[in-house]
Amino acid sequence: MREIIKNMFRRKGRTVLTVFGITIGIFAFTVMGSMAEKISLLVSGGTEFYSDKVTISQSDSLFLSGPMNVNKAAEIEKVDGVKAVSASVFTSLSKTFDAVSFGPPASITGEQLENRELESFKITYSSGRQIEEGDRGKVVIGADLVKKLDAKVGSNVKIRDKDYEVVGIMEKTLTAPDNSVVMTLPDVQEIYFGELPEIVQSQSKPSEVVNGFTVYPNEGVDPNQLAAKIDNEVSDISAFGPQDFQDQIASATGIFNAILFGVALISLIVGGLSVINTMTMSISERTKEIGIKKAVGAKTKNILGEYLAEAGLIGLFGGLLGWGLGALTVFFVNSATESSGNQIFLLSARISVFAIIFATVLGVLAGFYPAYRATRINIVKALREE
Amino acid sequence: MADTMLKMKDVSKIYVLGNQKNARKAQKAIHNLSKKYIRFTKKGNKTEAAKAEKFIAKAQRLFTEEKYEQSYQSITGRKIKPKSGKGSVVHALNGVSLEIKAGELVAIMGPSGSGKSTLLNMLGILDQPTSGQIHIDSSDVTATKGRNLPGLRSKKLGFVFQSFNLVPTLTALENVMLPLKYKGLHLRTRKKQARDALETVGLGDRLDHKPAELSGGQQQRVAIARSIVSNPAIILADELTGELDSKMTEEVMRLVLKLNKAGQTFIIVTHNPDVAKLCRRIIYMKDGRIEKETKNSR
Ligand SMILES: Nc1ncnc2c1ncn2[C@@H]1O[C@H](COP(=O)(O)OP(=O)(O)O)[C@@H](O)[C@H]1O
Ligand SMILES: [Mg+2]
Repeated sequence: MREIIKNMFRRKGRTVLTVFGITIGIFAFTVMGSMAEKISLLVSGGTEFYSDKVTISQSDSLFLSGPMNVNKAAEIEKVDGVKAVSASVFTSLSKTFDAVSFGPPASITGEQLENRELESFKITYSSGRQIEEGDRGKVVIGADLVKKLDAKVGSNVKIRDKDYEVVGIMEKTLTAPDNSVVMTLPDVQEIYFGELPEIVQSQSKPSEVVNGFTVYPNEGVDPNQLAAKIDNEVSDISAFGPQDFQDQIASATGIFNAILFGVALISLIVGGLSVINTMTMSISERTKEIGIKKAVGAKTKNILGEYLAEAGLIGLFGGLLGWGLGALTVFFVNSATESSGNQIFLLSARISVFAIIFATVLGVLAGFYPAYRATRINIVKALREE
Repeated sequence: MADTMLKMKDVSKIYVLGNQKNARKAQKAIHNLSKKYIRFTKKGNKTEAAKAEKFIAKAQRLFTEEKYEQSYQSITGRKIKPKSGKGSVVHALNGVSLEIKAGELVAIMGPSGSGKSTLLNMLGILDQPTSGQIHIDSSDVTATKGRNLPGLRSKKLGFVFQSFNLVPTLTALENVMLPLKYKGLHLRTRKKQARDALETVGLGDRLDHKPAELSGGQQQRVAIARSIVSNPAIILADELTGELDSKMTEEVMRLVLKLNKAGQTFIIVTHNPDVAKLCRRIIYMKDGRIEKETKNSR
């Protein structure tokens, strides 16, 4: 073992370069992988969130809705299979659109509270309590926004230039609520109304305008079928079931997975080729030595094992280094962005383990051809070499 | 009379160099038939074996006469067009027969290119002869399968080569431990045996020195320690003093004589008459043949 490590560093510069090649690949893989993990977590949280209900939007997009009259709720309730409908408003936390946001942007939400017990996605509170009817001027803060807003239960936070009293702070959910401020429906309606074009404003008042409904189906009713039915029977809106949610985000996560796959593939090719190159050179330099070893009884498997171990070790070193750098990057970027409430990365155990094993296996596989060549060295010719 | 350690019968070695297609074809045909012959003898199929043996002998005779086309035809029955390709055919050994007994100290001398190293490589089963048989300690080496050769080498043979024959990154101790590692011995046993061997060659105080930190004579003594560590039947040494000055040569030869006195068999290829003088038996080679043999009375 000691000999293998020593051999690795006989040509320090070359080995270091090879290790670095793998390091870069694994670094990219770790960082991209952590990003993909974060997204997939958001997605699976979202999938759970949307699993048993139908969401109504004014437009064709589940995430970009427009204003609707709150009376639409009555129309929707008439559809067969609907148990209850809650109106809700959703808008961004800052007045201007947050261009560098990742995942769901920080938001303000509020909904009718009468049907709250029908909600299957339960939220717990790390301090304080949930929002209640009549809590005008009060807010509950998502876990990721605590730092950004400097929120404490009992103290005030400034949102859209207005002070609100914090009554509760949510436990981390790892999905959308982490990044949102919950208010009473009238409070959000007021904010939302202010954002609407003047023509819309002139035709209605704040308490009439919402931009979403949550529809809870009756027992045994498939939310996907119910969504289709609502779409058919109620005009001017779009209804989304759990399947629609998954379809809408599948394309986004698909792109990330493709990038991740691409990074893995590139590091595979670059790292693999440089390992092959390094090992081939090492072996041709050590021809005589291999001849000596074979002459004193080294079997094919001894020679093969020695060089595969060296190649694997190069891969492992590169993998550890790349993973380490990736982990540091993830750590620093995450803590830098924590205050803005937007964590980009999640370095999961499976990405870590996979990155390191991938690098090692890559080294071993790439070392196979050179190592095989080493076993085929002709002893007599090798010993004649100077 | 001591036991026969090593027997070589009618061994030839022909190197085909460059683009000699017909020679290569014939060589391959002979090689394949030799394999068949071995299989027949193993199965006890005497008539088939005798038939194959006759064909091989004929093909080999034609081959040594450089009639490759006829050689090929005599085995396969197929004709090939005579072609005089570029390159050449080297008859490094031409029917050498030799017998060496346990405890002997043999020197092989001869001009450069006379086939000394080739002979030694055949004895050390580092290379396969074109024809002929070699027995080491009563096992037929030429009939041994390729994958069993490393085991045979590490059990029966020790090697010392001309120069740079230590692994430069390993210490003296680690170099001597190498053959034991391939035997699969435990680390502690390996260390102990290697240390003992280094003590035998008088280098008990140089265990952790790298080859570059040792003199040429000391390096060759490490190489000798490595060759004796696994108790081989024979130690084969190719020009072991070739790169040493007279003082170091003396130092190394004193060690060889000491080990030989204790019963170790040696075959030493050398250019140096002073080295040969110390050996009981001297074999002179010329053009791939044994020219003459002399015995020193010492
Ligand atoms: N691997 C080889 N390929 C081709 N020719 C070889 C090879 N080994 C030895 N020869 C040739 O065989 C002849 C004998 O070589 P060698 O046994 O090394 O002689 P010596 O050791 O007596 O100097 C020389 O002509 C040499 O060129
Ligand atoms: Mg020679």
